[in-house]
Amino acid sequence: MKNRILQAYRQAPWRIQIQWIGLFLLGLVLIAAVTGLYLNISAQAATAGRKIQSLERDIDDINNEIADLTTELAKAESIENMEARAKDLGFKLIDPNRAVYLEIPGYNPNADLVLAPPRINIISESPIVKSSYKISLWEWFANQIWHPLEGPSSIKEGASP
Amino acid sequence: MKMPYHGRYVFVVLICAILGVAIVVQMVRINYTTYSQQLIAKSADYQGVEKIIYPSRGTIYDRSGHILATNQVGYELGIDLKFVNDPESIAFSVASIIDDLDYVNVFELASTEERENENRYFVLSSYVSKEKIDELSRLKESYADRRQQQRAEKPSLSGLVWYPMQQRTYPEGTLAANLLGFYNYFSRETAQGVYGVEEAYNRLLTGKPQSVFMPNDPYLVEPLPDIQPGASLVLTIDRDIQRMVERQLADAMEWSGAEGGTIIVANPENGEILGMASTPFFNPNEYWKYEETFPGITPYNKAIGTTYEPGSVFKVITMAAALDSGVAEPSTTYNDSSGVYWVANSWPIYNWDGGAWGVQDMTGCMQHSLNVCLAHVAVDLLQEDLFYQYLQAFGFGRSTGIDLASEANFPLRLPTNNQWVEIDLATNSFGQGIAVTPIQMVTAISAVANDGMMMTPHVVRSVIDRGQQYDVTPQVINSPISPETAQSLTQMLTITLEEEASDALVEGYTLAGKTGTGEIPTEFGYTSELTNASFVGWGPSDDPQFLVYVWLEKPTISPWGSVVAAPVFGDVVEELVVLMRIPPDNIRLKTAIE
Repeated sequence: MKNRILQAYRQAPWRIQIQWIGLFLLGLVLIAAVTGLYLNISAQAATAGRKIQSLERDIDDINNEIADLTTELAKAESIENMEARAKDLGFKLIDPNRAVYLEIPGYNPNADLVLAPPRINIISESPIVKSSYKISLWEWFANQIWHPLEGPSSIKEGASP
Repeated sequence: MKMPYHGRYVFVVLICAILGVAIVVQMVRINYTTYSQQLIAKSADYQGVEKIIYPSRGTIYDRSGHILATNQVGYELGIDLKFVNDPESIAFSVASIIDDLDYVNVFELASTEERENENRYFVLSSYVSKEKIDELSRLKESYADRRQQQRAEKPSLSGLVWYPMQQRTYPEGTLAANLLGFYNYFSRETAQGVYGVEEAYNRLLTGKPQSVFMPNDPYLVEPLPDIQPGASLVLTIDRDIQRMVERQLADAMEWSGAEGGTIIVANPENGEILGMASTPFFNPNEYWKYEETFPGITPYNKAIGTTYEPGSVFKVITMAAALDSGVAEPSTTYNDSSGVYWVANSWPIYNWDGGAWGVQDMTGCMQHSLNVCLAHVAVDLLQEDLFYQYLQAFGFGRSTGIDLASEANFPLRLPTNNQWVEIDLATNSFGQGIAVTPIQMVTAISAVANDGMMMTPHVVRSVIDRGQQYDVTPQVINSPISPETAQSLTQMLTITLEEEASDALVEGYTLAGKTGTGEIPTEFGYTSELTNASFVGWGPSDDPQFLVYVWLEKPTISPWGSVVAAPVFGDVVEELVVLMRIPPDNIRLKTAIE
C-alpha cells in the first residue's frame, strides 16, 4: 500500500506542488482576512474617535447656547423689564395704606428656595475592623452555621438638614 | 549543478540587502543628528494640543431664584496666518464691524509673513458679541459664494477665525452691584472675582480648571473628563427689596444733597441681609470703568468698607449696656440742670441744642438724644471697664465676618491704649471719637432687636454644588445683653419714636428707632458744618422682622438725622412691609390670636 502511494507521487509530482500552493493560498487568505478585520476595526475606532470629538463640540455648543438663553431669559425677566411691562399693562405700585391682607393657610412667603435636592450623607460603617474580629470564635462559628448567608449591613442613608 | 540565472538572483538579493542596510543606517543617522530634535519638536505640534478647560462660573441668584449674575457667550476673534490670502478684505470687514479695531492695525497683522517658529495666530479682540460674529459669519459665507461664482481667489475672509468662550454678565445691570462685586474676565488666566460676593466666594464660583490633551489622532481620542461647573449661590437678598432701597437711596441723595449714602435692610433674627444699597452705583457689565466710578480710595461698598463716626445712633449701645449691667433702669433719672457735663473738670460736653433739659428719665434721655445724660451714664454709672467690655461684646473693633470681600474695620481705642484720653469715654457714649462701619452698627443693634442675640450678618443663603443644595446655617456671634434688656430697650425706643412724632413712623406699625447726627472730624477737630445723618430702626416692636439702617453722608438740606434720615427710614419701611408681606399690627395680632 505504502509503495503504491509513493509510486503515485513519483508519477505525479505536481500534486505536491498543488499542496504547497494550496497551503500558501490558505495562509494568504488568512492574512488578508486578519488584515481586513484589523482595517475594519481601526476604521471604526477612527470614526468613533471623530464622533467623540464632534459630540464634544456639540456639547460645548449646547452649553454655550444654554448659557445664552439663560442670560436672555434673565434679561427679559429683569426687574427693570418686568416693571416696564407691568406699567404697559396698566399696573401701578400699591399704596400701602390700601393694601388688603388675606390669610392663606399654608402659604409661607419666606419659604426656602430649592434649586437642587438637599445634600445626602452616606454613612458607611468603618471597614477597618471587620465584624468577625469583634465577636468570639464561638459566636462566629455559630453565625456561620445558623446564618451563613447574612452579611453585615454596611450602608445607612440619611438626609442632612 | 549551477542553476540558470544564478548571478541575477544574487544581484537582486544584494541590492535588497544593501537597501535594507541603507534604510537602517539612515534611521540611526536621523536619530543622532541635530535636525532630529527639530523634527521631533515639529511632530509634537501635529500630535494635538494641550487645552485648559475652564468650568462655567457659578450662577448667583437672589432669594427667590432671580438671576443676578450668570454667563453668556462671547467670542475671541483672531487671525490664523496659515490660511490668510486676502488681508485687505479681512482688515476692511473687521474694521467696519468691530468698533474698537482699525483697518491699519488689522491689515498689518493679517499681512505678517508666516515664518517658522513664529506665532501663527493673533488675537484681534476678546469677547466680541454674538451679533458681531454673526455679521462676520454672514460676510464670510457671501464672499465664499461670490468666489465660487466668479471662480476667483478674492475677496476672502479665510484665516479670520473665532472661538466661543463664556463671559460674566449681570442681567440686572447696576442692581446690587456694590454687593455682588464683579468678575474681570478679559484675561482668562488671571480672571477672578473682585469685591463683594464674587471675590469672597471666588474659589467656589470658579470650579477647578483642568488641563486636557486633545490629540489629532482619532485613535487616541478619549472622552473629556467630567468637569463640574462652579458652585452656584443663592443670596439672602430680595430683588424687590434691593431695587426699592436703591431707589429710595437715590431719591434721598437727590433731595438731601448728600454726598453718599447707604441703606441696609437685615433680618435681625438670623442675620440675613435682605437689601444693601450703597453709592456710587455701578454697572459691573462694564467693570473696566471701575476707576472712573470709584476714584482714589472710594470704597466699593460703603456699607461694609467705610468707617465713620455714627453719632447718636450709638446711644442705643450705651443704653443697652447700662440697662443690662443694672446701673440704670428706664425710670432712672438724671438732672440736666446746666446743659453741660464736665469730664475730669477739663472738657465740657454739650447737648445737640446747647440747652438744659432738666430732670429726665432714661427714656427722656433717649427721646431728646441728650449727650450730657449719656455721658453721665458712661462716665459715672458704667465707667471705663464695663462700658468697653460691652462695646467689645457688641463686636466693635472687630470685623463682623460678613461674607463679602473688603470689609473695613477700625480698631477700638481702649483705655489701655496710649492714644486713649478720658474724654473718649464720654464722647464714645454718644457715638463720637469712635469709628464704625454701617454693617457693624447693624450687627450690634440687631442684638437689641433679637432678644439679645447677635447674629453673623451674611448674604449667602445656599450653595448649590454638584447638583446638591447646602443651606447656610445662621451663626450666633454673641449674646451681649439679656432678652429682658433687649425687650425693655425696644419698648423705650418705641415710646420715644411715638412721642417724638417722628417722620420715621409708619401708620399701622409700631417701630423702635433712634436718630443719629455725627459730626465729621477734620484735621483741626470738629470744625465742619457737615454731618453724617443716620437712623436705625426695627419692627414690628413686639416681633422684630426687619432692621433698617440709613446713613446719609454730608447732607446739605439739613445736618440733622431726624430731618434727613428719619423720613427716608419711614419711606423704606412703608414699602418694605408690603414687600415682606407684614400686615399692620391690628391685623397681625388679630391673626396671631385666632
